[in-house]
Amino acid sequence: MDNPYLADITRGIFKENPIFRLVLGMCPTLAITVLIKNGLGMGLAVIAVLTCSNVVVSSLRRYIPEQVRIPCYIVIIATFVTIIEMVLQAYVPALYAALGVFVPLIVVNCIILGRAEAFAGKQPVLRSLCDGIGSGVGFTLGLLLLSVVREIFGSGTFLAETNYAVQLFGPNFEPMRIFAQPAGAFIVLGLLLALTNIVFKRLQID
Amino acid sequence: MVRLVLTLVAVTVVAAALLAGVDLITAPVIAERQEEDYRSALEEYFPAMARYESKELEEDSFDLVYDKTGGLLGVMASSAVQGYDDQISYNLALDRDGLILGLRIVEHSETQGVGDVIEKPEFQSQFLGRHCRDPLQLGEDVDTISGATISTEAMILSLRRLLSAAAENFFDFAEEAPLDIAALPDGVYRGSGEGFGGEIGVAVTVEGGKIIDLEIVEHNEKPTYLAEAVALIPPQIIEGQTLDVDTKTGATESSAAIVSAVREALLKALSEEEDSEGGESDG
Repeated sequence: MDNPYLADITRGIFKENPIFRLVLGMCPTLAITVLIKNGLGMGLAVIAVLTCSNVVVSSLRRYIPEQVRIPCYIVIIATFVTIIEMVLQAYVPALYAALGVFVPLIVVNCIILGRAEAFAGKQPVLRSLCDGIGSGVGFTLGLLLLSVVREIFGSGTFLAETNYAVQLFGPNFEPMRIFAQPAGAFIVLGLLLALTNIVFKRLQID
Repeated sequence: MVRLVLTLVAVTVVAAALLAGVDLITAPVIAERQEEDYRSALEEYFPAMARYESKELEEDSFDLVYDKTGGLLGVMASSAVQGYDDQISYNLALDRDGLILGLRIVEHSETQGVGDVIEKPEFQSQFLGRHCRDPLQLGEDVDTISGATISTEAMILSLRRLLSAAAENFFDFAEEAPLDIAALPDGVYRGSGEGFGGEIGVAVTVEGGKIIDLEIVEHNEKPTYLAEAVALIPPQIIEGQTLDVDTKTGATESSAAIVSAVREALLKALSEEEDSEGGESDG
């Protein structure tokens, strides 16, 4: 691809998808993908934080000495996460109530530190912005894929706890609880990793 | 070296300043919103509320809600308990007679799709209408939700403690008299209890201060479950002349419903005698 900005975006979605290719940020991925609503909410929050932190890290890259870059990145990331948490709680309480516990978790999502270290710390601001959006979208798509599978099998619903909730099976359906548990998260993740490996190989994406 | 320190200091100072600024703007909005939420919950449970008065007791706080004329409408209790993951904080609304109007989970971090059942009617409905002196015995009159045993058991135990604190301090009623079967006048009495499929109605025949017969007159249970409950519960009640029977069968809900239906029927019988209306029964 000729356009480097477009390439930055698509690379985060396919070739370097945080979940299926880099296998980064597994802790929140496994923890929250019980419901589609959570996956989407977490994904959107990560897009916001990742884009902001990438831009700030990139614009400060000439002023931050090599030796202290990691603590600086962490402070920057934590600051954005906390700001987003406070703003959500004050002005979008419904979303805050839904995400509650997961917002602070974004700080320790290593995809954000990973992109700061691997990309934004070395690249110009605009390309870092594109990389942040691309990786964020890639992460969100991965979360959605996992949470769709886990919600359907683990709860027997689609888009539960939203206005579009659908009960997929009859009232006597006994959901396969394992899919809603951490062990089920690992199983689904493993299967999806295998599946994406096959697909990517066939399509010769890398 | 100096540059390293200066950079770190600069980054953290800017971050702290930013956070302080955002907090300054959002903190009052957040506090106001929580207060508003609590107030609207109060108004939902007590529509005639005019004012409320707060009382702190050890771990819990209670808001006594009054109407315009100063009459007590009920009590809103607030408490917190350690759940599976973290603290669960909740409000419990009691009407002026000490009956549970509602349970409101304020904040929790239980597992989504598992422990968060504490927020749902599936778990909460079993408390509605209960009296603050009800024993809330695990597995008998209240149940944990399987799969979320830790969260639900923690809630039930905490509710029990909160209810007894409320009963002691705000609802100074005489203890419920134990059922004296021997004092029952002869007759056939009807009562009903909530089973698995719906109401279970019973007809209890009392003769000479003894329960001599117990019949299911209406139900909406699955026949197999009902059959199991009927095979186990009535013989225990009739043989032991007691309602203190083991309802842990393969059909716990149906069994418990039969017991509570019998209790209702017998209470009716007793109150009729006290009112000296006597023999006004279906028999």
